[in-house]
Amino acid sequence: MGNLKNYLPDQYDNTDLKEINHNYLIEQFSDYREIFGKIEQVVRKGDYTLGRAVDEFEKKFAEVTGAQFAIGVGSGTDALFLSLKALGIGKGDEVITTPYTFYATIGAIVTAGATPVFVDIGEDYNIDTKKIEAAIGPQTKAILPVHWSGKICEMPRIDELAKQHGLHVIGDACHAILAKYNNYYAGSLGTVACFSLHPLKNLNVWGDGGLVVTNNQEVANRLKLIRNHGLADRDTCREFAYNSRLDTIQAVVGMHILDNKLEYITEQRINNSLFLDEGLRGITQIRVPIREPNIKQVFHIYMILCEQRDKLLDYLQSNSIDAKVHYPVPMHLQPAANNLGYQKGDFPVAEKTAEMALSLPVHEHISKEDLSKMIDAIKGFYR
Amino acid sequence: MKMKIPFVNLKTQYENLRKELTDSFEAVASSGMYILGNQLKKFENEISNLCETKYAVGVANGTDALFLSLKVLDVGENDEVITAPNSFIATAGAIIATGAKPVFADIREDFNISPESIEAKISSKTKAIIPVHFTGRPACMDEIREIADSKRLYIVEDAAQAIGAKYKSKPVGALGHLGCFSLHPLKNLHLYGDGGIITTNHKELYSRLCLLRNHGLINRDECATWGYNSRLDELQAAFGIKKIKYIKAWNQRYREIAQMYNKGLKDFVTCPADNSELECVFHNYMIIAEQRDKLIEFLTEKGIETKIHYPIPIHLQKVGLELGYKKGDFPVAEEICDKMVSLPIYPELTNDQIEFVVDGIKEFYQ
Repeated sequence: MGNLKNYLPDQYDNTDLKEINHNYLIEQFSDYREIFGKIEQVVRKGDYTLGRAVDEFEKKFAEVTGAQFAIGVGSGTDALFLSLKALGIGKGDEVITTPYTFYATIGAIVTAGATPVFVDIGEDYNIDTKKIEAAIGPQTKAILPVHWSGKICEMPRIDELAKQHGLHVIGDACHAILAKYNNYYAGSLGTVACFSLHPLKNLNVWGDGGLVVTNNQEVANRLKLIRNHGLADRDTCREFAYNSRLDTIQAVVGMHILDNKLEYITEQRINNSLFLDEGLRGITQIRVPIREPNIKQVFHIYMILCEQRDKLLDYLQSNSIDAKVHYPVPMHLQPAANNLGYQKGDFPVAEKTAEMALSLPVHEHISKEDLSKMIDAIKGFYR
Repeated sequence: MKMKIPFVNLKTQYENLRKELTDSFEAVASSGMYILGNQLKKFENEISNLCETKYAVGVANGTDALFLSLKVLDVGENDEVITAPNSFIATAGAIIATGAKPVFADIREDFNISPESIEAKISSKTKAIIPVHFTGRPACMDEIREIADSKRLYIVEDAAQAIGAKYKSKPVGALGHLGCFSLHPLKNLHLYGDGGIITTNHKELYSRLCLLRNHGLINRDECATWGYNSRLDELQAAFGIKKIKYIKAWNQRYREIAQMYNKGLKDFVTCPADNSELECVFHNYMIIAEQRDKLIEFLTEKGIETKIHYPIPIHLQKVGLELGYKKGDFPVAEEICDKMVSLPIYPELTNDQIEFVVDGIKEFYQ
């Protein structure tokens, strides 16, 4: 872990609010009193661990993601980790994935005991399916595509490759609730799909939470067992396992969003993205997200590529626009990846993307004026 | 006569604290800050004050507290960790999850791990000892520490059931390298969902725990080591801040109830032994009773709910047998399994209810 003797973390967030923010949770949860009423019912029943509210939320979540089963777990990271474990993937196994993702994708693979094998991305920020086959080896057990920013990967091709080589497909759908490929939701594609309910996700709760969805009954049963200490009942442990449960009160929050807001949230993000596309398209130093007619993107992140990215980022920040970079250093170049044997130049598209990527807020509390202000600011910068 | 006495009663505590908890809820819900914020920071400070340690790290649950503690001590494959077989399954589960092997040592009459038995189990592969402060009664830490020091082993306290308990005036959580607590809804200090916390005096272990619980991130853009996601939510931490003010008073009431049970029951069953060096917190009040199953039936008839913690020791569970253990390996742990029973105990239990339980048990044996 390197020399951490003098490193004292200050990892507690203190958000500086700007005029146009990435964080919109105060507005989104202005109806918290209504949610509190629902939570209080659960608390008064003393039903806080895997209670009825979790069952109901899982059922509804499975429906809207197009899967038969949904299993609530502690976080999106745990959704990935437990999926790998449920599929028996661990030491000596390789999992093919993308270097352009959040740390947790790789963390889950490594902590499960397996080795991540990276494949470069394409112009749409997603794993380049043309390059997957070359990475498949005798140790490969699964492909783990990440539907980055809420755009589903080219799943028919990935499924085909998986079938040919006898591999599992574990979808990292943490960004992709309600996203579609043709008529298929992210949850109906692959062996399992993993979702996060982190506060900044399109479907969010007040803390960490996640779900795995699948159409495979056996995998679903195994997941239910290993998220709860391997206990078949209070006194019978089938296998040593983990504790990773979606809190019942968080299931109540999730259900509230799912029932009342998710469709609106998704629509607004799509509309805002289209508006930005239109406004930014003429700027030669900018490339807007790739769109394909058969894919419904849900824009958990609205990510553009731009020249002089760091300068533009500073400029927008100083104009009180909370632009962000998701993320400046791809996974294979992180200090944590030192022992995986990669180097700069291995994944040129991912590296270039990391240098040029910039995310603009497109959540449901962004107004048309905000969007116009962002467009004008970017135009002003390049003028 | 019948009186409904449930084994747990979480609703009463909630109603008593409703106003305060509602305030916390509103403050967090309306803040838009739900993970790794100031509530957690404050709660961690409160816990380290209570436990008299320098640091505390909030994590997702008590199991993760044990698991992450072993990870920061670099316990893993080919290592052995000595612990008790009469614990909740998570103690052994956390060891297995690191890749290490749990090696069980028998317990004493007080339900806690026996130092002699630990010594007999130490091998060249032993890396750590996890004493479990079972039912909220501290294990005999001086002897355990002596063994650990002489063999250069780590001590990770499983204090999941023992928050606020003291051993020779020192709080649990400060008696080893790392102390692990659960804040699960059934614990003396509980939240409304899963939660856990780790205490330590070691700065380097603290730093590494902070990294591991948050994806190994030094900052938003730099990942020092592949890690986990195991954080205590702000909302739960905010509840914890309100509740920790009461923990000393609650624990005092647990002890009071235990004394009332002791006094009423000592001629009929074996009660937890007094020990002036220990300040127990009686997460469970466990007695050893003849004709245990019949007693349970009799009490159930009267409306008194009891539980067994736990009817099958870990080494005799399917998963334990797979590790190569068999019946007879730990005679003390096995013997108590057939005789022990836990009686209702929580601060909100009334003296009338306690008396009713005592009378019920007397009636059964008379």
